[in-house]
Amino acid sequence: MRRRDFITKSAALAGAGIVAPTILKTGTAFARGGNAKAEHVVLLMFAGGVRQQESVLQRYLEDSQGVAGAAGNIMPNLFNGAAPDRKIVYGTSLPGLPPGSEPIPRLLSKTIESSGMLFREVQAQSVGHYVGLNTLLTGNSGTAQGLKTRPRYPTIFEYLRRHAGFKASECWMVANGIGNSMPLLNSSDNADYGLAYGANMFAPPITFGSYGREILANGKSYNQQELAPMYDIKRFLDQSFSLGQEQFNTVRNTEEERTRIKEFIRNVFAKQSAGQIPMPPVLHESGVPGDGYNIAYAAEIMREFKPRMLAVNIGGVDSCHSNFTSYLSALHRADHAAGWLWQYIQNNIPDIKDNTIFIIAPECGRNLKPNPILDQNDWYAFDHSDANAMRVWSLMVGSNVPQMSVGGESNPIGRLTDIVPTIADIFGIYDEVMASGYIDPLAKSMFQRV
Amino acid sequence: MLSFKTRVLSFCFLLALGSCKRETHVTFGVEEKGLYEDKALKTKNKNEAVYISVLYTNLYQTPISPSQLYKTQAVIYSIGDRNVANEMVLSNYFNTQGLNIPTNSAMRADVEAFVVDSYKRFFLRYPSEGEKTWMIQYINRNDQLSVEMIYTGFAASDEYQYY
Repeated sequence: MRRRDFITKSAALAGAGIVAPTILKTGTAFARGGNAKAEHVVLLMFAGGVRQQESVLQRYLEDSQGVAGAAGNIMPNLFNGAAPDRKIVYGTSLPGLPPGSEPIPRLLSKTIESSGMLFREVQAQSVGHYVGLNTLLTGNSGTAQGLKTRPRYPTIFEYLRRHAGFKASECWMVANGIGNSMPLLNSSDNADYGLAYGANMFAPPITFGSYGREILANGKSYNQQELAPMYDIKRFLDQSFSLGQEQFNTVRNTEEERTRIKEFIRNVFAKQSAGQIPMPPVLHESGVPGDGYNIAYAAEIMREFKPRMLAVNIGGVDSCHSNFTSYLSALHRADHAAGWLWQYIQNNIPDIKDNTIFIIAPECGRNLKPNPILDQNDWYAFDHSDANAMRVWSLMVGSNVPQMSVGGESNPIGRLTDIVPTIADIFGIYDEVMASGYIDPLAKSMFQRV
Repeated sequence: MLSFKTRVLSFCFLLALGSCKRETHVTFGVEEKGLYEDKALKTKNKNEAVYISVLYTNLYQTPISPSQLYKTQAVIYSIGDRNVANEMVLSNYFNTQGLNIPTNSAMRADVEAFVVDSYKRFFLRYPSEGEKTWMIQYINRNDQLSVEMIYTGFAASDEYQYY
């Protein structure tokens, strides 16, 4: 009998030993459920380089151009504080009044600061755009990150797909263009993660802009009976070629997911033609698509796919390199678009409104001293290359997020690399992500910072 | 003593005699062969521009214009899942005039020839016997299957992304 017991227990242990690593590798056995704080996360990468002085510090023209008494808050949806009362140039233009003199009315009844958690002074990890965006998505300072290459370290999408078992169509990156390395941000080329765990991605100005309309909008819509043999043939041919995971050159959705995404693209073009894509009330002054356009398509993706994780990038404020007035206008509109997105989720997507966390953070700041370029108001422009450009803020609001203001100008708390651990914490895979070895060792969840 | 003239003539005669050789025909046993790719050697991924150029030329039998190429490349680049992008581009092509592809009746008239031609057209190789058999049976079993559907499967396949 003892021998039989021994054999039975040994066999059970050996079986568990074989199966457990397989389960743990994908993480699906333990990740869902756990201590999740929310079921959806929207990360707004408030990018382009946001100067601390004109945003969270609310000093408007006082710090930047030396105009005494011209301080005030030009981001009324995000931060508490009264608007400036002089030299208003960032609003909309009304006939007979100076250009930009009418601030856009606040959309949210309560600012995001007063509903959520504001980290007033956070340390950025770089003063450049692409590395900054990498930091937001990988949780690593990415000092050796090259341009025109995929992130070297796994992105939050890959962590979530591998350790929380999310599907490709549950993870989305919305880029604001295909320039530079932007369309490569949906996945790293890391050998342990990579495209097999990457996110879906659109760059709305291209995908849904004039090029997209010309190339995609005329496509045939196949019914399921027509699609099935096409997929059968593709599947047969793919089995015969059998690519290894390391040879993947793209994110891969299932056939059902691909069909759904294609249908979504067709519907977007149909809605465009009918003028039915909801947009923030005020878009860019010059008529170019701008940040509001990108955020509107992010909202469409939210409504259709209800992704577990969506990151959307904007970058209009980078006009600050050569035009300070345009920068102020873009900052005010980015605030407006951010407020609109949160309001849209609350009012139009009831399934997720109470279980979503909205995170907003710039990827870098801007310089303390200006460059010599003057704009139409004789105001100096600012680049991003000095220590002041390492100063940023972050905001978080939604399910299980306490209302509090953390840190300040003389008391910096947190790093931009905290964003990925925070999202991992929200979805209950914090330990797996921190143990991956790819996260900034000084990073931690923003929930743990307080 | 031979005269100078005789000497020169004799020298030229000897020179001409020595320079003549019988022409020999050398053959190396080379046979004419069609050259086709081997799928095992297709290791390089086509970038967007190559994929679109090859696909467009394949379907329309004419090169794509630079402007069309640029726009299509940008659109494919703007979509995360390249399979989704390729399938959308294909469905757009199949909704246009000017395609140079076999008719459905031509396919049904000689399914085996169609299958072999399709492999050569898309993959630049002959199908294996197994591939050919499966494909012929699949076409014969499905009355509603069209050339468009089969070509979409080929053009969207992994092998077509490599060279």
